[in-house]
Amino acid sequence: MCVGLSAKVISVKDGVAMVDCTGAKREISAELLDNLEPGDYVMVHAGCAIAKITDDDKSESEKVLKENQA
Amino acid sequence: MTSITDTSDLKKYLETYDGPEVRIMEVCGTHTHEIFRQGIRNFLSPKINLISGPGCPVCVTPASYIDEAVYLALEKGCTITTFGDLVRVPGNVKSLQQARAEGGKVKVVYSPIDAEKYAKDHPEEQVVFLSVGFETTTPSDVISVQNAIKDKINNFALLTANKTMPGAYEAMASSTDAYLYPGHVHAIIGTQLCKDMAERGVSGTIAGFTGEELLTALGITVMKLAEGKPFFVNAYPRVVTDAGSPAACAIVDKYLKPCDAEWRGIGMIPGSGVELKDEYADYDARKKHSIPKMEYEKKTGCKCGNVLQGQIKPNQCPLFGKVCNPDHPVGACMVSDEGACSAFYMYGGQS
Ligand code: SF4
Repeated sequence: MCVGLSAKVISVKDGVAMVDCTGAKREISAELLDNLEPGDYVMVHAGCAIAKITDDDKSESEKVLKENQA
Repeated sequence: MTSITDTSDLKKYLETYDGPEVRIMEVCGTHTHEIFRQGIRNFLSPKINLISGPGCPVCVTPASYIDEAVYLALEKGCTITTFGDLVRVPGNVKSLQQARAEGGKVKVVYSPIDAEKYAKDHPEEQVVFLSVGFETTTPSDVISVQNAIKDKINNFALLTANKTMPGAYEAMASSTDAYLYPGHVHAIIGTQLCKDMAERGVSGTIAGFTGEELLTALGITVMKLAEGKPFFVNAYPRVVTDAGSPAACAIVDKYLKPCDAEWRGIGMIPGSGVELKDEYADYDARKKHSIPKMEYEKKTGCKCGNVLQGQIKPNQCPLFGKVCNPDHPVGACMVSDEGACSAFYMYGGQS
């Protein structure tokens, strides 16, 4: 039940966003995120966008490794 | 130490690690599942022990909770709406699947928000959503209540068993050397708690869910443990910020208040749950439908509690794979894909 999915925002209106989740279109709540715009990527949990996502996991990993090694 | 810059270095490091033995608890059920699915356990050095902790909400939901839902379905004629993986969890008496076979109405939905929509479209039914989950799913539950208030419907309620992580982190701290913190919980609550834990000597790394992110988080955790000082690292910064989601925390605080909570197999952890505030009693299925007090848990021989606390591996449970398997789960850990026993079974985890 806890699977978080990243999705691309297609449109936003009145606290509800239409997102594209690897091809599947779905309406989700955008209640928690201000200034959401088409083209943004979000993390979706239980029908609700919980966070905007930035970057891809590769550059993230490089950054984390660099910052945490003496 | 030579510097590690990419996943192949990380993999090699984790494979050949030969320092002091370390225990790392992955708190989140999705981490448990992904670590198995990606075969990470297969190459980890034997000096790195992964413990599958209490972070699968289905697995820590007590049998008495299922009894309450069954009671609502069969005695009160409510329509139960739920995430699919709760349907097969055994209660003390029966599962919701059995209740459905006896005529109870049990409907699987994608989210609590969809459950509220269903209630709006079916005013003749009393709809109850099974509200289980951690900080990550709780905002959705609350939004469904907010929508019900907005839509002025009075046939929708939550049966809450929502849990919060801080109490569990405290309760399990002696079972592990470091936590692999659940990324999406901290996307909501931020990182301050982890920093405070490190100050008190409890180490951990916030981890994402892709192979790259899991390897990075595990690698950093082992390296930092080898340095011997308590630490905290956010290895999932593309999603988790220090502040988390103030909007999510605010909406949860508006509708819910802390309460003590029973964790299946572990017992009561004070202040580790949330329930609707008194002013929203109309949306609280326990109050609205006057559910009698259910007995907590009858003895089944299930060792989920020991598994969740890292005291045994699933395959050390005498029922594992024999009496208890995904087709006939004895404990909740065998039901959900995120459960440690189910993941062990599915991926043949003998490690
Ligand atoms: S194998 Fe089954 S009975 Fe044993 S701990 Fe896991 S869920 Fe419980």
